[in-house]
Amino acid sequence: MIRFIVADLKRLWAGSLVIVLLVACAAALGIAVTLQERALRLGSARAADAFDLVVAAPGSETQIVLASVFLQPSALPLVSGSVLHTLSQDPRVAWAAPVGFGDFYGQIPIVGTTSDLVLQGGKKTLTDGRMFSKRTEAVIGAKVEMALGDIVTPMHGLAHEGGHVHADATYTVVGRAAETGSPWDKAILVPIEGVWHVHGMEGAHGLNLDPHHGEQNETVSIGEPWTADTPGVPAIIVKPKSIGDAYRLRQEYRTASTTAIFPAEVLTRLYATLGDARALLSAVAIGSQILVGAAIALVAVIHVGQKRSQIAALRAFGAPRTSLFIIVWSQLLILTTLGAALGMGLGYAIARLISHLLKAESGVTMPVAFIGSDMRMVIGLIVAASLLALGPAALACRQSVAGALRR
Amino acid sequence: MSDLTLSSVKLCYAGLADPVLDISKLRLDAGSHIAITGASGSGKSSLVNIISGLERASDGKVLWDDVDLCTLSETARERWRAANIGLVLQDFYLFSGLSALENVLLPVRLGRVRFRVEHRKRAEHLLKRVGLARADQPVQTMSRGEMQRVAVARALVTKPKILIADEPTASLDEASGLAVGDLLIELAREEAATLLVVSHDAQLVSRMERRIRLSRGKITETATPEYAA
Ligand SMILES: Nc1ncnc2c1ncn2[C@@H]1O[C@H](COP(=O)(O)OP(=O)(O)O)[C@@H](O)[C@H]1O
Ligand SMILES: [Mg+2]
Repeated sequence: MIRFIVADLKRLWAGSLVIVLLVACAAALGIAVTLQERALRLGSARAADAFDLVVAAPGSETQIVLASVFLQPSALPLVSGSVLHTLSQDPRVAWAAPVGFGDFYGQIPIVGTTSDLVLQGGKKTLTDGRMFSKRTEAVIGAKVEMALGDIVTPMHGLAHEGGHVHADATYTVVGRAAETGSPWDKAILVPIEGVWHVHGMEGAHGLNLDPHHGEQNETVSIGEPWTADTPGVPAIIVKPKSIGDAYRLRQEYRTASTTAIFPAEVLTRLYATLGDARALLSAVAIGSQILVGAAIALVAVIHVGQKRSQIAALRAFGAPRTSLFIIVWSQLLILTTLGAALGMGLGYAIARLISHLLKAESGVTMPVAFIGSDMRMVIGLIVAASLLALGPAALACRQSVAGALRR
Repeated sequence: MSDLTLSSVKLCYAGLADPVLDISKLRLDAGSHIAITGASGSGKSSLVNIISGLERASDGKVLWDDVDLCTLSETARERWRAANIGLVLQDFYLFSGLSALENVLLPVRLGRVRFRVEHRKRAEHLLKRVGLARADQPVQTMSRGEMQRVAVARALVTKPKILIADEPTASLDEASGLAVGDLLIELAREEAATLLVVSHDAQLVSRMERRIRLSRGKITETATPEYAA
């Protein structure tokens, strides 16, 4: 019987292949959508991990997260330098680092900050070179295709958006940061003073006593201490000492002139609002699976139709209907199971590919992985297909033998 | 040994005014060799379908001992056919990808009786008997004459009491047709089976003990008139 089932599938290999591929496509679509959605959620949550608390000027929370965590170009209003000063003095704060955006080198964003953020307060080390120690030095993200010693000429705004070159201020790459799985891997990190300098905002910060404003001044000190006169920044990344401190700080910095947010929380809320889109996406996936299911049923009916006379002949030679039912049904089951397995691999490959492309684009690492509920989905697909196959199988056994043989 | 008796058998199809088959009385003696002839569409296949239980008569009785085939359920007729009928059709219905031996054994393998070594031995014996030396030859590599000989072996593997051949030589060349005709007659005798052959092949028909001619579903001529009413 098994020999016959297999020989029969081989004989009708073209039809068999069509069924396998149809099932594979249905399964791949559903699996790719599920895996990708999860990867996106996990990946962006991990990218936000290093950003416990962000203090910025009041504005859209989503915009603040997109700008600070995902380095999306956007013009955030500045928060006063005195806030940075107060935060850095606060005993509940492990470290507080300003971030300043707006400049690019080609397509690569240049982010002004301090070594605290780059090294996560000493938790991380550079993979190459050393930390920047002068206003004119830079550390590149793990995925930036540059080498130590390269010179970076900042440009305000993106070149194709009509940016202009700050030819008077350049940076020398002196180190490479460890990979974070976030867009920061594709950024050039420079001292915040560099950004201020380029934008003529040095004010009274630090020990910048250079009377010739606008010229390269390599002697200026960088980083803390900040003062009340420190220039404004778009956002301040704060590492609180404890979770309790984090909540208290967030409470305190929700004022008329500042806002404080947990990026992880904002992302969760963002996904909640995106939930509808997700539901739509899975509805599309389910809808297409139903369509493919119908296609499978159709192909199965055709498949059985082509074998009408063959099945009738077997009955005429004395094979009982139950055997024929088992043959047709198990053939369809073999094909759908093969298809589901293939589709699982295919869906995984597609999700991996999309993640790879998205990572190349954004720098966000998106982990693609199967979890228990995916298996349930695949098993559900196989069960549905085997139920669908009952119809054609029953059909094969109900036909009139004499009629099918006469043709 | 059982005789087969048809009485007042009618086969009607919806939409057709006249029955496709209308036989008042027909007795087929056990072990006899009978030819059925007639124009195309005269009801020859319908007759053998009713005898083999593939089709149920609309009216009348088809008696095998005291069993009336017309009263049996689909499943019961299926069992009866598997146990008593061996069938050879014009198109061989062999399954490519399987060997000659596997094809001969397929009805047994798919059937209700447990497969035993005797089945294999009998199949090998029958293949030799029909003149095929290579039991493991894939059927798709065989000539048409050889294919029909495999089909003859397959029809006999379950030791049927009735061997039915519906135009067995119609798609063969003359020599192969002759060989298959010989085999049918010889094997039916060896197996003590009733042989029922539907054919236009005058040579084959002339070698049967009895000839029945059908015309528009009715028996119009038989070589042994006492059986027809
Ligand atoms: N399912 C059916 N519905 C209507 N007419 C049928 C059906 N099957 C067979 N017939 C008719 O029955 C007649 C006898 O057919 P058949 O027994 O196959 O003839 P033969 O085998 O002698 O050529 C033909 O006229 C055919 O058209
Ligand atoms: Mg016919």
